[in-house]
Amino acid sequence: MATSRDLRAGDHVASCAICTDVLAVAAAMRADSDAQWQHANIPSSGQVWWRAEMRARQEAIRKASRPITIAQGVAALLALALTGTAGWFAWTWLRDQAPPLGFASVSAQALTSPLALASVVALGALVVMAPVALYLVLSDE
Amino acid sequence: MFSRDVTLIDIERLDRVTAKAVETFQMDEDTFRAFYDRTARPVWVYLARITGDRSLADDLLQESYYRFLRAERRFTSDSHRCNYLYRIATNLAHDRHRRSRHVINVAVPAEHEPTALVDNQDVAADAVRRTDLGRAMAQLKPRERELLWLAYAHGSSHEEIAESLGLRKASIKMLLFRARRRLAALLGGGTRAKGTSA
Repeated sequence: MATSRDLRAGDHVASCAICTDVLAVAAAMRADSDAQWQHANIPSSGQVWWRAEMRARQEAIRKASRPITIAQGVAALLALALTGTAGWFAWTWLRDQAPPLGFASVSAQALTSPLALASVVALGALVVMAPVALYLVLSDE
Repeated sequence: MFSRDVTLIDIERLDRVTAKAVETFQMDEDTFRAFYDRTARPVWVYLARITGDRSLADDLLQESYYRFLRAERRFTSDSHRCNYLYRIATNLAHDRHRRSRHVINVAVPAEHEPTALVDNQDVAADAVRRTDLGRAMAQLKPRERELLWLAYAHGSSHEEIAESLGLRKASIKMLLFRARRRLAALLGGGTRAKGTSA
């Protein structure tokens, strides 16, 4: 049964644009919310907890494994640097021994140029590292 | 490429690491289940409405609770906790919206939606109303949808809305007013306040 207060409120709403908007919007939103609420098909709390747990565990494993991979990468780089350095010393020794070994016909200037030298050292490092890299790759299988 | 054989020591260490990961959760399982049962449905409905995509809402719901569990925060009250959850959900919806920039789907009723209504005319009218609201909401900005939903569907206060959306409390009133006016115009049910006072 409508009270006088309700009637006064109704009169106000009819004449107030803001309150009319509020009523229209609120009514539509509430009705929609109720309908969505009924038809929402959400997973159970146990399911959500279990998934969160699994994900946290996987992320923790990935994080824990990261230092191992970094250490292996650093070790590989160090090995490469050592190989390069050894190759450099070997080459300088060979160059010094060049005349007795019959390298006199080779243009000494060309071989002592930085680019040629770097190429030879890189080639030497590749020859040494290639079998190691192959072993590491194939050992996974 | 650099994997090696896993040893027992590795397994024990990883077990300790993974157990620790779960210990850092915001709450234990029982508390979480109670919190989830209380909040999941409204959060899902919120996400479904602001994104306009139910399957996206499913994904974002799981992600929201996961981020909530991993959050390293202290909460002063349950309300504070809920507001933070809504904030996470809102930010995730924004991120997804920015990435996809897809047109918001109109949330039309599913073909085989169960309904408790007896009268078929009521079912049809209800579907039309929801479709109208869906279309109208699709034309609003994401922020406007969020404001309106939290205010009128969820019944949040201005302070709670500000906390949930990361806005200043003082600006909520004006933002809400503009959003409401716009939606009312789109729904065709409101009247323009030109020259008429409250």
